Amino acid sequence: MIQDKSWGSRLFDGINIALLALVGLITVLPFIHVLAGSFTTTAELARKQLVLIPTEFSLDAYRYIFSTSTVIRSIGVSVYITVVGTVFSMLLTVLMAFGLSKKTLRGRQTIMFLVVFTMLFNGGLIPSFIVVKSLGLIDSYGALIIPSAMSAFNLIIMRNFFQNLPDGLEESAKIDGAGYWSILFRIVIPLSMPAIATISLFYAVNYWNTYFQAVMYINDAAKWPVQVILRQIVILAGALTADTTGWATEDVLPPAQSIKMAVIVVATVPILIVYPFLQKHFAKGALLGSIKG
Amino acid sequence: MNRKRLAVLVPTSVALALIIGCGNNEETTSSPSPAAGGSASGTKEASAEAAKPTKITIMAGLNSAEVPTDKIEKLIEEKTNTELEIQWVPATIYNDKVNAAFATDALPMVFTGDLNKFSEAIVDGQFWEIGPYLGEYENLSHLSQSVIDVMKVDGKLYSLYSERPFARQGLIYRKDWADKLGLSAPTNLDEFYEMLNQFKNNDPDGNGKNDTIGLTDRSDLIFGAFKTVASWHGTPNYWGEKDGKLLPEFMFPEYMETMKFFRKLHQEGLINQDFPVTSKEDQRALFINGTAGAYVGSLQDAAGLKTEVTKSNPNAVLDVQNRIEGPKGPAVWELTQGGGTAYLFPKSAIKSEEQLKEVLGFYNKLMSPELANLLQWGVEGEHYTVVDGLAKAVDDKKLLDREVSPYRTSVAVGGDISIPERLREKVEDPLAQKANELILDNVNFMISDPAAPLESKTFVEMGTRLQQSINDATYQFILGEIDEAGFQKAVDKWLADGGQKIIDEYTAAYAASK
Amino acid sequence: MNSANVQAKYPDRLSGQESLVKSVIKHGALYLMIVPGLLYFIIFKYLPMFGLVIAFEDYKPYKGIFGSEWVGFAHFERLFSEPMFLTILFNTLTLFFLNLVFCFPVPILLALMLNEVRQHRFKRVIQTLVYIPHFMSWVIIVSISFVLLSMDRGLINELLVAAGFDKVNFLMNPDWMRPTYILQIIWRESGWGTIIFLAAMASIDPEQYEAARLDGAGRFRQIWHITLPSIRSVIVVLLLLKIGDVLEVGFEHIFLLLNAMNREVGEVFDTYVYVAGLQQGQFSYSAAVGFFKSFVGLVLVMAANWLSKKFGEEGIY
Repeated sequence: MIQDKSWGSRLFDGINIALLALVGLITVLPFIHVLAGSFTTTAELARKQLVLIPTEFSLDAYRYIFSTSTVIRSIGVSVYITVVGTVFSMLLTVLMAFGLSKKTLRGRQTIMFLVVFTMLFNGGLIPSFIVVKSLGLIDSYGALIIPSAMSAFNLIIMRNFFQNLPDGLEESAKIDGAGYWSILFRIVIPLSMPAIATISLFYAVNYWNTYFQAVMYINDAAKWPVQVILRQIVILAGALTADTTGWATEDVLPPAQSIKMAVIVVATVPILIVYPFLQKHFAKGALLGSIKG
Repeated sequence: MNRKRLAVLVPTSVALALIIGCGNNEETTSSPSPAAGGSASGTKEASAEAAKPTKITIMAGLNSAEVPTDKIEKLIEEKTNTELEIQWVPATIYNDKVNAAFATDALPMVFTGDLNKFSEAIVDGQFWEIGPYLGEYENLSHLSQSVIDVMKVDGKLYSLYSERPFARQGLIYRKDWADKLGLSAPTNLDEFYEMLNQFKNNDPDGNGKNDTIGLTDRSDLIFGAFKTVASWHGTPNYWGEKDGKLLPEFMFPEYMETMKFFRKLHQEGLINQDFPVTSKEDQRALFINGTAGAYVGSLQDAAGLKTEVTKSNPNAVLDVQNRIEGPKGPAVWELTQGGGTAYLFPKSAIKSEEQLKEVLGFYNKLMSPELANLLQWGVEGEHYTVVDGLAKAVDDKKLLDREVSPYRTSVAVGGDISIPERLREKVEDPLAQKANELILDNVNFMISDPAAPLESKTFVEMGTRLQQSINDATYQFILGEIDEAGFQKAVDKWLADGGQKIIDEYTAAYAASK
Repeated sequence: MNSANVQAKYPDRLSGQESLVKSVIKHGALYLMIVPGLLYFIIFKYLPMFGLVIAFEDYKPYKGIFGSEWVGFAHFERLFSEPMFLTILFNTLTLFFLNLVFCFPVPILLALMLNEVRQHRFKRVIQTLVYIPHFMSWVIIVSISFVLLSMDRGLINELLVAAGFDKVNFLMNPDWMRPTYILQIIWRESGWGTIIFLAAMASIDPEQYEAARLDGAGRFRQIWHITLPSIRSVIVVLLLLKIGDVLEVGFEHIFLLLNAMNREVGEVFDTYVYVAGLQQGQFSYSAAVGFFKSFVGLVLVMAANWLSKKFGEEGIY
């Protein structure tokens, strides 16, 4: 690629990078506070309120968290449902999105409308609970995966990506006698890696954040994913518990700030590091070369 | 591996993973619907030998991060000949779980319910009336009559309860600051104000900077400072009697006096300016880091605060105080019992009177000294030792939280008053000791809520919602956004929107109860 | 009927399209592909929809959904006659529009900026940093905001005082509620929002930029004529989806921001219903309010979708 060396372009780059650096800093500062806070003592947190570099280094918070297997096990559960769930969801989503992206599919407009409809109207907690219970999923990992398997939003985005692919590709493949399965797996998916990476990330984050389904459908605490444990610790002293259990929480002291922060770090870092690995799929024009060939 | 094989392998392994995931269902011990399990063994139990353990399912609220170990549970099972299935449910989701259980006929045999929220279901006959049976059980009959009266719905008793201290509120303050300024413990409102004033303006920490304030408070009119200080001013507790009628506390002049007091504190900077949006954590942080010198709240917090304060400031000294007198003498509000700790017994899960008796028998045993000690203190030698006839808990708070505390809050029944032989706490820390003494002293002048044992249909329907506008008006007055006329407007609106009906209903019930 | 008329009347049909049966036989694979997804939607989305009747009943958990009494539109009447209704509606719509105008474009802008960066390492680092806030829950964000904005030792107020200004009551002054809300959303969601756009931009042929440059186009013109059009359909789809959420403004977030001073400008449907729901579990009323929100969203989405098609876009259905 020939670099554009004009001064206008360079100025543009310079300002762009400066602004982005600033944005990066502003967005990450609070997380640095949480990260730093997790490695320090409660006394320092009470004193300084905003900590960026801890002066009193301490691993107490982490020691507390990992002293039993609860947090680790819950991370294991979260990893399991995230991996299995994402694969399962992508399978369903890619297939359905591909089918619905083809104009030859009769009734696709109706089906899409019905999909959009589900984004707006929801039967509610109790009917969903009844359905999940009738399927015998209560207390199983399946309850954390199957009922959340598809997101209408992700389906719509995926379909949109498929629709934007150039028609020419499929035409030539069809002329060569390829069927839809072949077209999907040999041509469309390889070309849609940015979209696949994106939607996979969306599903993965969604599964990683599983909380409500877990507390409603899973009674066995050993199967609770990490967000449940996290919330118990963090929200315990917060506003949302004031109404119903205002009583009982008076008996419980808020957990040490540093412990809260450590749990946040532990619950967030695993999913954070997924994105950088996917970033190679967002490189410009990475795959279009294959079309030319 | 080429694409085609991948295309087959991936779905297959996913399917397998899912099957394993669903299959795990069979392996867990806690699965099938409790109601079915309970009744089956229950009725069999009645006719089979007495040696077979009774199965009891309990839904308990979880306030800690982890589900407790089953050490205590197993000991209880052993000693009561039961098979317990305790479902620990995070407190934030507790009500949703209960409602879902209702809807799917999967209620446990015992769960904790707010009597106000379930009064309709109770009146509809969904729960067992246990009042008539209490007499048959020696320990259960020791439960306080006054608490039982408060918990009755429609004149009948449906629930057991777990005791909470009647009145824990008081003042915790920096004694070292007071000493430096030549102040003694405040005994009335004027001295209290004076202390806050000097804490802010006279550099109590001696660092030459004007960086201290008096009181640290949070966004909670009940468990924060407001309600307690209101009691000191002589305000009734939620409801008070006036000319034969029951009126809400905010219609009494003492409430207005309290608001004016807080307004003064706020204007003069003696209280943290953002207290209406401050969380408990941030409130404590202000005290711990030496910004504020006074904290009004649960006296049981004193020991914890002391530990935190002395970590960064070893010279700090804390003290506690309770009798801060207003125009009507010392006063503190009484915490109505049975609120968050009422145990209900659904008929859908307990299918027969026989079964009910077994469950009540179980709770009767829980109130025996041996089991009461187990639930409150844990295992002797492991979680506590007996010193001078008192229980001294071990220092490992983590251990206690993981093995004992949840049982204490969510499974135990009764308490110090109804189980006199239960071990009392041995406190080493003189501050904690004094705090406990003051808490007991509070009982001498606590003000109860006359409306607690009464029922008002309108209150149940819209009481909480209406209260929100009064709370808002209270804050607005304190912050100087509205004046007395403005507050009166809010009160008038409260009356018009349904408050008058509530007053009428409570007054009628009050008259009837006399 | 000639084929042109057929085309006009049934836009989903290609000219000379076969009947459903013939289509299934010919394009069987496609129909098979959508079956698992359809099953999912039917079982887990449509089956529970019987629960919507709760909005029209006086639901009691112990009576069950089918045993509770039917009350028709009573709850809706109650909602519309609520004195705060117009205020709540106005607040909700205002927050939505502010969100649309201020929050929606930021990820696009950010994505464009990131897209222009040629230093790959720098780009990846910034990309990762900006998407971190999305993972912090509102509880944490609001509590960190408290540390920054509080009048008691809050950082920003201390800076203001040091610079000679008065303290500002960010947390309680109603004028600051909406800006705080918007800024927090921008901070939390912008980075995450760039992901979709970056994915779309990744499919652009780099040679297009070459050609434009050789034609003398500067950076801005390249963005305007090449990059933006490539993400146009994604923008439209996201816009349409956002419109469906018109009355959905983020319960947890707002609940944490509300207090006695800013309730007038901050109370929205979800927070209003939350307090009502604390009573005897007023399921039905909450359900009715939810139904109303969904209905309004549906009407607007349908209108917007139709409009977008008029402009030549694909729409979302």
